[in-house]
Amino acid sequence: MSIPITWQPIITNITLSNILITKNFSIMEENKKMCMVLFSGSIDKLTAAGVILSGAVADDMDVDIYVLLQGARAFRKDIADDPKKLNMAENVELKEEFLKSLDNLKVKTWLEFFREAKSLANVKIHICGLAGKVWGADKVSDFVDITDDIVGIGECITAAQDSDVHLFI
Amino acid sequence: MTTEELTNLKADKSVDARGTSCPGPLLAAKKAMGEINSGQILEILSADEGTKKDIPKWATKKKHNYLGTLEESGYFKIYVKKG
Repeated sequence: MSIPITWQPIITNITLSNILITKNFSIMEENKKMCMVLFSGSIDKLTAAGVILSGAVADDMDVDIYVLLQGARAFRKDIADDPKKLNMAENVELKEEFLKSLDNLKVKTWLEFFREAKSLANVKIHICGLAGKVWGADKVSDFVDITDDIVGIGECITAAQDSDVHLFI
Repeated sequence: MTTEELTNLKADKSVDARGTSCPGPLLAAKKAMGEINSGQILEILSADEGTKKDIPKWATKKKHNYLGTLEESGYFKIYVKKG
């Protein structure tokens, strides 16, 4: 059924799937959304998260990262950029070899991946309020400067519901 | 494009990502693409094997035109025309 031209203003600003119809009737695609739940605070999984995040950013995705329990410890500003304070999730005895290999390959640290991603795209980092308290950090200023805010789990669930891609790391 | 055509191609911008591993070349390509205009050609140098498949797929998805890849000694050159 064709829509009479006089009806067109009524359908402006309605989001249909991933297409946004703007007031001037130009059509642009909305960015896809990723919701990453980052439970881990281990240096190997944080590095993997940084690589995935970089891929999402290259793909122009909007990313919301929800940092839960062990992850929140890693984001504390007195811990984040000190690999000595972060353990491996697997093959714990190979930590030195792992870090040396990353260095030889000129791979960024996990924190550098996250920083770069934030500079290139719409990436938001939310710390779970409970997780922060567990590690004695309850203010945004207790965490690395790329942290956006401290939130409750409801926001995380809503973001997951609204996202195209969900990851739990 | 043929190997000869690619060899004779003059890129508008070239990024050397040979010192980086995945996802370095991909991010380098994304950044460089933001610095050229539609219709211009980007050359990406990479020694990372995964990039050889990654960038063509990324380019196509982002509506750029992947032109081809030239194998060099120990690295390769990927050509993409900005869409």
